Parts: sequence; structure tokens; C-alpha cells
Amino acid sequence: MRIFGSNEMAADVIQRGLCVGCGACVDICPYFRSYRGRTAMLFPCTLPKGKCHAFCPRAEVDLDELSLQFFGLSYGDNPLGTYISVKAARGIYPVQNASFQAGGTVSVLAWLALKNRHIEVAVLTDREGLLPVPRLVTDPDDVFSCASSKYTAAPTLSAFNKAVREGYKRIGVVATPCQVIGLAQRRLNPMAESDFMDCASLVIGLFCTWAVDFRSFEPYISGRFAVEGIKKMDIPPPPAQVMEVYLEKGKAELPLNDIRGFIPAGCSYCWDMTAEFSDLSVGALEGRPDMNTLIIRTERGQQLVWQALKHGYLQVEELPVENLEHLAEAAKNKKKRGLMKLKEDGLFNTDDPAEHACLRMMPEVAEKIIT
Amino acid sequence: MRCLLRYLSGRRHYKKGKSLIMGVGKLPREPFNVIVTGVGGQGSVMLSRVLANMLVMEGFRVTVGETFGASQRGGSVMSHLRISEAYTWSPQIPKGCADIIVALEPIEVIRILPSYINKNVLVLSNTRPIYPVGVIAGESSYPSLEEIKKCVERLVCKAWFIDATDEAVKMGNSILGNIVLLGALSALEALPLRRSFFRDVISEMVTEDNVSLNLAVYDRGVELIKQDFDFRV
Amino acid sequence: MSYLTDTTEGVQHLLMGNEAIARGALEAGISVASGYPGTPSSEIIENLARVASPGNLYVEWSTNEKVALEVSAAASFAGLRALCVMKQNGVNVASDFLLHLASSGTRGGIVLVPCDDPGALSSVNEGESRYFARLLEIPLLEPADFQEAKDMVKWAFELSEAIKNVVMVRSVTRLSHASGNVIFGALPVSKRLPAFKYHGSLLDPDCGPIISLLPGMPESKHTPQQGKIREAAQLFEQTPFNAYEGPKNPELLIVACSVASLYGREAIHLLGLESRVGILKVGTTWPLPQQFLKKNLSKTKEVLFIEEVFPFLEEQVKILAAEGVSEIGMKVFYGKHSGHIPSVGELNPDIIIDALSKLLGLKYRAVPKSLAGKVEEATKACVVPPRELSFCPGCPHRASYWSIHNALELDGREGFVCGDIGCYTLGMLACGFNAVKTLHSMGSGTGIASGFGKLKPFGLKQPVLAVCGDSTFFHTAMPALVNAIHHQSPFTLVILDNRGTAMTGFQSHPGLPVNAMGEEMPAIAIDEICRAMGASVEIKDPFDVEETQISLNRLMESQYGVHVLILRQACALSPERKTGKKYEMLVDEAVCVGENCGCNRLCTRIFRCPGLVWNKEKASARIDEVICAGCGVCSDICPAGAITRREKV
Repeated sequence: MRIFGSNEMAADVIQRGLCVGCGACVDICPYFRSYRGRTAMLFPCTLPKGKCHAFCPRAEVDLDELSLQFFGLSYGDNPLGTYISVKAARGIYPVQNASFQAGGTVSVLAWLALKNRHIEVAVLTDREGLLPVPRLVTDPDDVFSCASSKYTAAPTLSAFNKAVREGYKRIGVVATPCQVIGLAQRRLNPMAESDFMDCASLVIGLFCTWAVDFRSFEPYISGRFAVEGIKKMDIPPPPAQVMEVYLEKGKAELPLNDIRGFIPAGCSYCWDMTAEFSDLSVGALEGRPDMNTLIIRTERGQQLVWQALKHGYLQVEELPVENLEHLAEAAKNKKKRGLMKLKEDGLFNTDDPAEHACLRMMPEVAEKIIT
Repeated sequence: MRCLLRYLSGRRHYKKGKSLIMGVGKLPREPFNVIVTGVGGQGSVMLSRVLANMLVMEGFRVTVGETFGASQRGGSVMSHLRISEAYTWSPQIPKGCADIIVALEPIEVIRILPSYINKNVLVLSNTRPIYPVGVIAGESSYPSLEEIKKCVERLVCKAWFIDATDEAVKMGNSILGNIVLLGALSALEALPLRRSFFRDVISEMVTEDNVSLNLAVYDRGVELIKQDFDFRV
Repeated sequence: MSYLTDTTEGVQHLLMGNEAIARGALEAGISVASGYPGTPSSEIIENLARVASPGNLYVEWSTNEKVALEVSAAASFAGLRALCVMKQNGVNVASDFLLHLASSGTRGGIVLVPCDDPGALSSVNEGESRYFARLLEIPLLEPADFQEAKDMVKWAFELSEAIKNVVMVRSVTRLSHASGNVIFGALPVSKRLPAFKYHGSLLDPDCGPIISLLPGMPESKHTPQQGKIREAAQLFEQTPFNAYEGPKNPELLIVACSVASLYGREAIHLLGLESRVGILKVGTTWPLPQQFLKKNLSKTKEVLFIEEVFPFLEEQVKILAAEGVSEIGMKVFYGKHSGHIPSVGELNPDIIIDALSKLLGLKYRAVPKSLAGKVEEATKACVVPPRELSFCPGCPHRASYWSIHNALELDGREGFVCGDIGCYTLGMLACGFNAVKTLHSMGSGTGIASGFGKLKPFGLKQPVLAVCGDSTFFHTAMPALVNAIHHQSPFTLVILDNRGTAMTGFQSHPGLPVNAMGEEMPAIAIDEICRAMGASVEIKDPFDVEETQISLNRLMESQYGVHVLILRQACALSPERKTGKKYEMLVDEAVCVGENCGCNRLCTRIFRCPGLVWNKEKASARIDEVICAGCGVCSDICPAGAITRREKV
């Protein structure tokens, strides 16, 4: 990984519109702060190399380096990344009124990890109105208040940074793909800190096709509904082409084309739909609104799933083949779009040392994905 | 201490024409020019006022030119004293015409020296640096006291560096560094400065209970220079 | 008892130019003095306020210069003598009333003293007040030294009463803020009784109503006004304030006014030109004493003008010389027009030496070449770091701008601050994190912000902030704020309320419970005024940087109406804070992240409070105990918690 400083980070990522506001650079120094969904650089820092750049999921990410670190093999062309198995899953927990997205798998797994002390703290994303707010949760029952999708890009990793600073050693994170990449970058110990410790004991990734920019989304929504009354939001699979907003009384539908207008530019460079560097990745299951797709990627992820199964907190089924195919197809399409966009903008595998890349991977693998 | 008169007897280097004013007796040169320099907030204005008033009591005509206002906010400040037997001189000392430079802050000597230097100039400086914000910020660097001393001593007739602020802190108030310097200046005997006039002037400017402290601090300044002379002898 | 009221005639004191002006006014027996603070003029009113007493002398810091002149004019209308004082810019503010006052005429002697600031040493402009004298047709005097400052002011009152009009006495920084020996004259004892006489006819100058002009009848007032100017010119022929010094027929005649005459003399002396160059010091620069000038211009063919800022005297004399060419012959003129004297910046003896050397073919080196070489050599090894302006240690403005800067960056829509006049003007520099992006006259930040706010319907997306100080608020920000509220211009006005007119030395203003003379007065609450006007108002302590930033961000997000955020914290140099530190500050070197990633010297590199020092050896920040004012803000900005504060007991 090539590492530069905050000025390169500001020029290459923020000014070029690649920033997704994940919070990887926030709360590690006084210079980067997140406010209303956007990351701001308050003052220039003169250091030639900094954690801000090193942790950024949009600056000099080397997929081989990550893949070797976490899976022990080079980055391949499977659109779903490396995994042990893919299942259909549903969380079972006797909580009334909890608002889950689909099967509630994520909430239950995070709850269990906290409950059985696998992790000391969970980094989750809550919302205030429509503003996503990262939270550190230590009481297992508090997990459920953070459940359900946010759709607005969130600086979740700033809470992870805070947890590390506060001295937590076993931290669980529920994160979107870009956030999982940022976290993975951090877990490489790129700044070669002598007292480094990988505190990310559990990483649950969320499937993501895109998020929306809070600052433009908020006025759109608040112009239509009282934001406090929104219970939950959902984007049902195609061909619905709507965003569903669940209110106190009933449900409203918004045209997806409107919502797409709020997608930040940074999402168009994204190549990861299923959070490939997580322990477990969870998303919707096509045709089964009560279930999730669960990708088990690591041993420790599998351990947690077994425990959940053992105690009856999780119900798992085999994933139908066509669902897996559809998922892979969607993931491949996103990867292809992201890589093409990166290539177009000269942000992929740059050869000129003066040019900084957003992403690096073996050209032949990239070629396979694109064609 | 008499040897000092040697420093002061030199003529100014400029061409002597039919002068408007002739020096008479009490001053080594007409006019005699003192620059008091420092950083805003150090009390250089106070120092130059007290000094000027002492000289007025002695019977001189004194003009004091001062820069303050915006420069008070952490900037360099400078007072120009023109001391004359009978004449009001301009509030700005012409370049190359300083007789004594009194500095509340050491680097300020070098800031003004290139403009006001001549071969007879004497320097009396505090040793305590006040770092410019650019230095604090790491944008520029501040020479060591040794470097400053070496530079000044190479250039001027005679220089004294005293720990005026440190002495003042020891005696109770850092701001009195200016009075330590004034006492020291009187001990150079380059100008006729009487302790009794200092008492009169300072009594008008500070509360009654502060007069004795000011006098003690003034005396400490005198002592610092006397020690220096004794050491040299 | 101040030496300013020393009744011993003939006694000598060292007076600052401003004190000399004050003494001159006292010797003239003034009853009223008014002004608005502004460097370099402030000490005049301050000194008069110290010696004020009921029924004897009333002194006030007025809300602004126009009001100050109106207050003084009232005293004149009632037959008393009054002095009105302001810095140069103030004359612009007062000029609307001044135009009418000059037309209406006056009764008791009234003198307007503007203090100009050539070189803009303490100003954000290099304006001139002298042109107002010509423009508005009132006499102008320019003292050249301290004695003259006193004597001229005293005489100006006589002149004012002789011609029944206001007289201007212009000072400059190098006179106002310099000191010299002044021999005192007598202090009058007799007192006038004020009475405003208005029973005479409309145009009766002594007993009629006092009005500017009868509409459509300029001759009603303008004709007598010009008569007054001719009368003044006649009186100027005889004054000792105009004098020639030098040989009978000099090769070159210097025509100078104000302190430039001292620079001229100094230059003549240093170059030894006493037998070749003469100097004509003109103290009455408008209207010119024609005969006196013609007589002196006849002495020679070549003339050099030295004066500060604009070629005011130069142009007047040239007109006079052109008109009188048959009497005095052809002249060659040097000065600002010829380029021998710079047209920007203040003068000094060296500039005049240069001009004279050029004109007379002399070679003069202030520092001999050999010595200059030695200096260059020695200073190479000892480079002097620049000493840029900064906020004082513990200044509330640093904390305010910290929050403002951070709020603007977090907001991320390229918001900006419309600046104003005061210490907080420095907000355009690094010490204010470069937050201020426009800077003009008193109160104009609010007016400009009011205008920016109305550009939103055109598509301006940037949030707009304005700053103004507590004194500036009363001076001229109030009308701009009324305008903004009435027109519903969306912006946030941040009032940096540091409890006094701090920049010029803590003069009182209407927001404080005291007047210039130290008497108890009702304080007018800024927050109540703003609320009554219709703005939403919040008050915060700028030392609470986080709260302040949160408020600012919330206010900036509002799309409608004017919001006022009052950041209230006394100036670090104020009497209430100067006496002691609130906190003892400490840096834990073991905790300080220093130059490493995660901090990179935020406190010393960015926050830049002079009370913080970077300790290179220990790679840690350090508190300079002598400089630190103990405000505690640095402990809040330290990301590592290395700076701690302990409440002082």
C-alpha cells in the first residue's frame, strides 16, 4: 500500500468526489471531522504519511494485499469474494416491536456476540431523524434499537476509532462494504505501529448497491413526511423501482429514480456489493422478505453462526441455486461498473508514480471481471 | 566605568555642517538617540515614558516617537527617544543614528540593528525570548541566545545582555523587566539618569504600595551592570 | 491630580501629542468634548475625561463620530466651547453633519480634531481628512510639534469664534502618539452660561435659529460661509504657525506641514544643508495665506513639497503659484507629482534625505558601506524571524474564530465571514484561521452580509456570517442589522462582545454601565436590542469552543431570517481579566502526541496561542508561564488530553 498524507487524501479523495464519508479518517486526529454525512478537513496537516490516508477505503487500496492478509490467497475473480458458504438465514429473538430489515440476522448475531462476550462493544449505526449516527453499544439489548437499514452514508468507522482510543480490545462492527474496506485497511497496520493490535473481533458486512447523501436526501424526505414519524425504510428488489417508507400509519412509496439522484459520486466507484473483507456478510434474500442471505467468510464468523444455531437464535436454510446466481450476477455487475469508472478516471492501477490510484489489483483478474 | 566615555565620545559619521543646534556639555552628542524596542505588551512604552520624563526633569528637551496600536498585538514595537539640550527633533530617528538600543526582547536588537547601526552604538538587551507565532508554528526558527549575542557583539561598540525578565519574575512580577532594564541603563552612565528622578516619575505612574518594589527592581538593574563591570575589571 | 490641569503658567511637561491637544482645549476653556475611539486619536478624549467634572467639563464617548460632532455642535450652539475628536475615518462618518454644520455656522468655539494615520500603522486605510476642510469650506490647521499642537488648538477656538464656524485641526500618528516638551499657558477660570438663542431672524448668525441653508437660496448661507474662509485666510497671514527658516535665498525651498517639517529639518541638518536649503513650515494649510506664501516662494526657483498622504498642500500652492506667476516668477516644483516624495506610506527623515540628495546631487549613506557589509555578514548567521500580528494570549477572538472556522469547514458549503473593524479584524490572518473574507469600514460587515443574504434566490449557496464587536455594534452595525431583519436577509451575525472598545484601550460604549468619565450609566443590552429588532438571539461563551461551534452550525443551516449569536467573554487585557489567570495550564509531556500522526502540533502549529511553546528537545508542547493568560481553551482543543488546567485559587 502506498501511503501519503492528509493533503493527498484531501486532493485524491475528497476533492475528486471519491469520499463516501465512512469515518475511517475521523476521530484519529484533530484534522478530519464528520458532519451531517460529510467528511471535512479542518486544517492542513504537514505530515507526508498519515493514518487518514492509510485507512481510507478510497486511497491506494491493494486487493491482493488485503486478500492475502485475511484469506491467505490472492484476490480472485469470484464476484462474491472469498467465502466458506452462503446460506439463507433468519434471526430468532423474542423481542417485540424490534424493527428488523428482512430476517433480523445481523441484529441477532451482534446481540449474541455481545451477550457471550465474544466482543466487548459493538459499533453500530443508529439514526436521529434521517441522520445516521454511529453508536458504541455494550448492552446486548441496545443492539435492537440500531436495527434496520439507514440508506444514508454514515461515518460508522469514526466510532470504531473512538472505541480503540477508549481502550476496547474486542470490537464488533456492523458496516457497509466501503466501511469494511476501510476497516480492513486499518487492520493491516499500515503505519507499522509498534503497539498495534487488531481489535476488530467481529466484522459483519452489509450488502450495499449504493447509499444516499444525507444532505440532499434529508430535505427531499422532510418535504414529504415528518421525519420523526418514519419507522423504517426499504428498497424492495426489482422490478418494484420504489423506496418504501413505513410511517406511523401505513406505508408510502417514493420513486427510486428520485432517490437515485441523491447517490453520492463516491458510490459510483464502488466495486464491492457484499463486503468481501468481513467475517460474515448479510443482505436481503430475493423473494423471501422474511429471510436474509448470509455469507460466511471466516472461521470466526462460522463459529458465531454455529453458536447462534446451537442456542436457537438463528434459523438457517440452504440458499436456492438461482438466488446465489442472481446475487453473483448483481455483485459482478456492480464490480464491473466500479472498475470501469475507476479506469475511466485514471484511478485504477496507475503506473506513473506521480499518479495515485484508488484501487490496485492484478490486471488479468480485473480483465476477467470487466469482460 | 569611566572607560564608557570613550564609547560615547565618537562623532557621528555624517558630514558636519553648520548645525541648527550645538551640543553643550551634558550630552555626548546632539541629539542623543535612544531606541527602546521589544514586543507589544512587554512595557516598552512605559519604559520609554519613564526614561523620557526623567530626562525632562534633568532639563532636556525630549521627543519620543512610538509605534503602537495594531503592533501592540504581538508585533514588534519601538520607541525613539531624541534627547536634546534645546530642540524638538523629529519623532523618528534617522537611519544609522542610534546611540543606545535598549531591547526588552533579544531578537529585536538584530531586527533593527541593520537600519540604525553606527560604530558607536551601545546595546542593552533582555535575554528572555518571546517567540513569534510563526516560530511557535514551526514556520520560522529563532536563533539561540548565543547566536544572537555573537552577532550583536560582532557589530556594536559594546553590548550588555541581562536576565531582566527572570530577575523581575524573581522579584514578583515579570512585567517589571522593563524597570530592571531602566536601572541597568542608568548604570551605564551613558545618560544622566538620577534614581531620585526615577522615584518621582514612577510615583506618579504606579500606586503608592508599588513604588518601593519598582525602586528595588530598578536597583537590581543597576547591580546587574555593576557586577558585569566588576567582573571585567 | 493630573498634570494636564497644572495651573502653573510657564511650567514644562512632557506631553504626548494627544495630551497637548487636550491641554490646548483646556486652556481654551472648553465645556464639552466628544468623540469616538480610534487610533491614533483616543488619548485626547481619555485625558479630558480624566479631568472632567460636572458643570465644568463634560466628556463623552459618543456612539459614533457623527453623533459626537452633533453633541459638540449643541454646546457651540449654546455658546460654549467644544472639542470633537475622531480618527480620520470618523470624519467620513461625521461628514454628512459636518457639511451642514459648516453651512449653518457655529457660535461658541468648536474645533474638530481628526487624527490621520499615514502609513496605516493602526488602520485598514490610508485616508485623508484634510480634503474635507476644502470640500466643506472650513479652515484647516496642521501642528508640526507638541507645543504647537497645544497652542494651535487653543488658537483654533479663537478662530472659530472669530469666523463663527467650525475649525479643523489635523493631527497624525507621529504627532498624536509621540511626546515632547510643552510649556503650559494659563487655564481660564471664567465660565460661560449656556443658552441657545433663537428669537432673531432666520439668518441672524448670533440670535437666530441655526439652520443649514434655505432651500433654493444657496446665497443665504453659502455666501457668508465663503466670506468666513476669506476672513480666515487674512488671519492666517499673521500667525506664528507659518514660518520660514533658512538662508535669504535658498537654492531649494522645502514647503512642509505637520511632522514632515521636523523630518525636513532633520534632513537638512544631517546633510549639512543649512546654508543651501530653506524650509517653509505651513501650519495653516487651508485656506492658504496667499501673501505670506508668495513672499516666501519669491525667495527661490525650486520648491520641494513634503507632506504625508496626499499632495494637498502641494496642489494648493501650485494653484496659487500659477495665479501669481507674474509676481513671483516661474517655479520648478518637486514633490509627490514629480515622484521625489512617495505618494503612499508615511514619511521619515530618510525619505527626505533621499529626495534632497537626488535633487542636489549629494551622496549620503546612513550606514557606511564597510559597516553595512559587516552587518550583512553577521546577520546571515542569525536570521531574524518575522513577528506577524496575532491575537494576545487568552484572547477570546482566537477561540471565537476557532469555532467559526471549524463550523464553516464542517458545514462544507464554502461559507465565509464578513469582517469588521476592531482587534477581530485580524481574523483575516492565520491567528484568526483566515476566516474573515471581506473587510471594510465600521459596521460594514453586517451591511455586506445583509446584501449577500439576498443573493440566495439567485443561487448563492454559501452560508454567510458577519462579525462585529460590541462597540462597533452600536457605532454602525445597528442600522445594517435593522435593514437585514426588515428585508429578511438570511445570515448569522456573530457579535464578539469582549466588554469594551478593546482595540483602542477599553473606552466605554453604550453597552457598558459606565460613561467616559467613569459615571454610572444605564447599560443597553445588545441581546435585547437584537430581539426587539426581530432577530433570534443566543449568547455563548466563546471559550466553550464545542458549544459555540454546534450553535454556529445549527444557525448556518437555517435558511430564513437573521440570527444573532453573541459570543461574550472579556478581553484578556481587560481590567477584570488582567489581574489574574483563571487556570494554571500544564502539558503532560508523556501524553503529548507532538509531531506524530494523530496531532502534528495542533496547538502550536494551528491554534498558535503565544502562551504555547514548542519544546524541540522533548518533542512536546509547553506552556510559557510568563505569557499564558490561563484561559484554558488549549486544553479543550488538545486531541490527546495532554494539556490540563487547574483552577487557580
